[in-house]
Amino acid sequence: MTQMLSRRGFLKLSSTAAAVAGFSSIPGTLGAMDEVKKQYKGNTKFTPSICEMCTSSCTIEARVEDGKGMFIRGNPKDKSRGGKVCARGSAGFNQLYDPQRLVKPIMRVGERGEGKWKEVSWDEAYAFIAKKLDEIKQKYGAHTVAFTARSGWTKTWFHNLAQAYGSHNLFGHEATCPLAYGMAAKDVYNHGSIGRDFAKAKYIINMGHNVFEGIVISYARAYMDALSHGAKLVTLEPRLSTMAAKSTEWHAIKPGHDLAFVLAFIHTLIHENLYDKKFVEKYCEGFEELKASVEPYTPEKMAVECDIPADTIKRLAREFSKAAPKAVFDYGHRVTFTPQELELRRAMMMVNALVGAVEKEGGYYLGKSADFYNQFIGEGDPKAPKLKKPKIPAYPKVSVPRIDRIGEKDSEFFLASKGAGIVTLIPHAALTELPGVGYKIHGWFIARNNPVMTQSNMENVIKALQAMDLVVVHDIQVSDTAWFADVVLPDTTYLERDEEFTASGSKNPSYGVGRQKVVEPIGDARPGWRVAKELGEKMGLSAYFPYKDIEDYRLQQVGDNIDLLAKLKANGSESFGVPLLLQDKKSVANFVKKFPSAVVHVNEEGTIDFPHKIKLFSPKLEEVSKKGALSYEPYKYKENDELYFINGKSAVRTNGHNGNNLWLNNLLDDAAVWIHPKTAGRLGIKNGDNIEVYNKYSSQKGKALVTKGVREDTVFAYFGFGHVSKELKRAYGKGVNSNALYSPHVSQNCGMNLHIAGVKVKKA
Amino acid sequence: MAKKYAMIHDSNLCIGCQACNVACRSENQLPESVYRLQVWIKPEEYPNGTLGYEYHRQSCVHCENTPCVNVCPTHASFKNEDGIVLVDVDLCVGCLYCVAACPYQARYVDPVTKAPNKCTFCYESRLSRGEEPACVTVCPTEALVFGDLNDPQSKINTVLSERVTYQQKERLGTNPKMFIVPNHKGGIKS
Repeated sequence: MTQMLSRRGFLKLSSTAAAVAGFSSIPGTLGAMDEVKKQYKGNTKFTPSICEMCTSSCTIEARVEDGKGMFIRGNPKDKSRGGKVCARGSAGFNQLYDPQRLVKPIMRVGERGEGKWKEVSWDEAYAFIAKKLDEIKQKYGAHTVAFTARSGWTKTWFHNLAQAYGSHNLFGHEATCPLAYGMAAKDVYNHGSIGRDFAKAKYIINMGHNVFEGIVISYARAYMDALSHGAKLVTLEPRLSTMAAKSTEWHAIKPGHDLAFVLAFIHTLIHENLYDKKFVEKYCEGFEELKASVEPYTPEKMAVECDIPADTIKRLAREFSKAAPKAVFDYGHRVTFTPQELELRRAMMMVNALVGAVEKEGGYYLGKSADFYNQFIGEGDPKAPKLKKPKIPAYPKVSVPRIDRIGEKDSEFFLASKGAGIVTLIPHAALTELPGVGYKIHGWFIARNNPVMTQSNMENVIKALQAMDLVVVHDIQVSDTAWFADVVLPDTTYLERDEEFTASGSKNPSYGVGRQKVVEPIGDARPGWRVAKELGEKMGLSAYFPYKDIEDYRLQQVGDNIDLLAKLKANGSESFGVPLLLQDKKSVANFVKKFPSAVVHVNEEGTIDFPHKIKLFSPKLEEVSKKGALSYEPYKYKENDELYFINGKSAVRTNGHNGNNLWLNNLLDDAAVWIHPKTAGRLGIKNGDNIEVYNKYSSQKGKALVTKGVREDTVFAYFGFGHVSKELKRAYGKGVNSNALYSPHVSQNCGMNLHIAGVKVKKA
Repeated sequence: MAKKYAMIHDSNLCIGCQACNVACRSENQLPESVYRLQVWIKPEEYPNGTLGYEYHRQSCVHCENTPCVNVCPTHASFKNEDGIVLVDVDLCVGCLYCVAACPYQARYVDPVTKAPNKCTFCYESRLSRGEEPACVTVCPTEALVFGDLNDPQSKINTVLSERVTYQQKERLGTNPKMFIVPNHKGGIKS
């Protein structure tokens, strides 16, 4: 059902896809070039790299085969991913010679969104952008140009360019995706990333983190590992996802009411004394506040809200606490973004703290970055290396606040990093002056991000793009956002580019090669590091780009640690030291054996104390928004005569990015709308009928999939369909575009959009 | 000694993600309109009223007793010494008897060569290099196990001894070398 494939259907799809692909091509795309001969010039041995078909950044390796094609697999040296890759990962090589791929810069010659373009040289494109940026700087100030870069690598290059130019309005894609749980980790655990030891867990509660469809290879494997070892998996999700179907129990929770469930769960843990008193006393603060704040949220009261019986809530809490510390309350992510997204993720994370399942096998663990890990290692022992950055002059100071006011004392979004920002505010800030900001956004520079498809309320985003003085997009294709741009710069695909090295950490510090080129770039596509540098030089900002090329940049990153450089290039990744779980005696003993100087940190129980208290109450959130304690605020998502509309991930498509990939599109080119048989019957809808899903924001056309795998009061569709760029010829106009139906609401304290809307459904 | 290659598809571990499908397409450079391998996902309502999904690997099952080879008038369809069923395109006259005879609907007609073709366990492309079939190599959850039944030490023999399996359409006596671990997930109350 998730992707119901049949032989006949498949053939039909393929033939239409082929027919569409034959349409005329716009300037700048590969299809418009004089005869392009496919030739794969590159390494025939496996080159380790990182996938970019979605943002999970799984380790891969790829090789050119017989000069005719390419084979991509997971990097077998990466144990957590076991050398595996998903369908999207395998399909990556399709991007290379896709006739709809952009390989030359193009500029708009008609109105925005009219689809009239001309091919220009890189020099012309740079000159135009530099001139426009300068005009905006003179007229409104450089800070009125927002820079969005999807994540990691793209941020390094384009956020540097932004700040050198004079804008502090820097953004990633986070507020449309994982931001709230990152913020929650920072608030509750004072830590950037929280790992979940799924594989060793005996009990997992999952509220829609559907890693069997929104595949992260390491998570999918760890979950399956747990299941194979007999772990109990309880999934609470409004539809029967693949995760739900593999679970021990599935409970179809009411969309948007997850917080009610978690609060009642915590209520039970406290009320029935199921929490780990010793752990809480020693390592947590704010327990009394938490206890008081959840007092009103009894399972009986919350059952009415979330539609999970009180007895079930209590039973699950008892079972979970009994399984602790080998228990994971999975804190993320997706399905139903709600107005209380930050409270929800904080509450979920507090559950693991309450049962003492943190820094123990089978529970949560704090990500061990080099800094975090090194604090436990004393003199005389080697320390985890840190990657360096090239030295650059100070950025020009900006005297006005950012549009999200991050960095100001009273900013409600203080938990977000400046590199993430609240990207969902950009459309609002382009259309009106936000309170306490004092200016509007006039330009948007977007690298490998597609806000038209991924930010809630597409109409609002398009309206904002139309109002801008300058829109620049760097992407491999004329994405839905590029469709409304003034200039579109052709990016290299991830198989044609090297990137900077990365440092991170799970149970011990680790380093990654970033990306390595498998084949030479096709056409005139250029990678981010080069575009930012060249454009910067055009703008007289050379001093901020003190690297010759990516190789030079990487050399500066490792300094004299050439050994690390060699290992990363050969193996794709490298780790330091031994795994460390602070609350696991055996792990701590191993750590001390490896680093004898660490012995001073070991407490009388043979474990290591947390460097910071875990916060069950947030003084800072209390100060800025009176949200220190957990609270539940009912929200009206829909009118009584409407249905809930929700979305989710498909295993063969990523959000806004690869729906136009030939192979992936052939697998699933239309996202059917799941509707319960009773609801369908009431509306006179039969399986396969053309239907209309509509509300005050939009009306979307799709096909009905009548199934009991969704609640009666809910309809569901996969995310990333209904593309609006006519240059994405295979995917254009097919399926329901979820974001068109969502409100432009930006949630308090976390800046996330909502992923629930009220809709009506009728036969088309 | 000759090999006897076989595969296990464990539908408990399968998540229907189509990684196998796409890796097969990539490795074997298949024309767009055809496939050698897909995973079909079927919603199931179990007798007790609960719900789940069944995952079916749709591909050649490499029978021991091969209806496709039996009907081929030119010996274009043949079983090689390692038990893998292959097509010699040069000998094929395009009668398509094999397509009709296959009880598993595993064969397609290649739009370029006009000859039938199908899953070869990546015999030409990967096994000769000592690699596993592409689908097995990429499967995120290790739902596929491949190996030599004649080798008592092989992983496939170990897994066959540990998990209950069946073969599709056993009654036909084709004795496929594709073993299925039946799904016992699902059956979850709605």
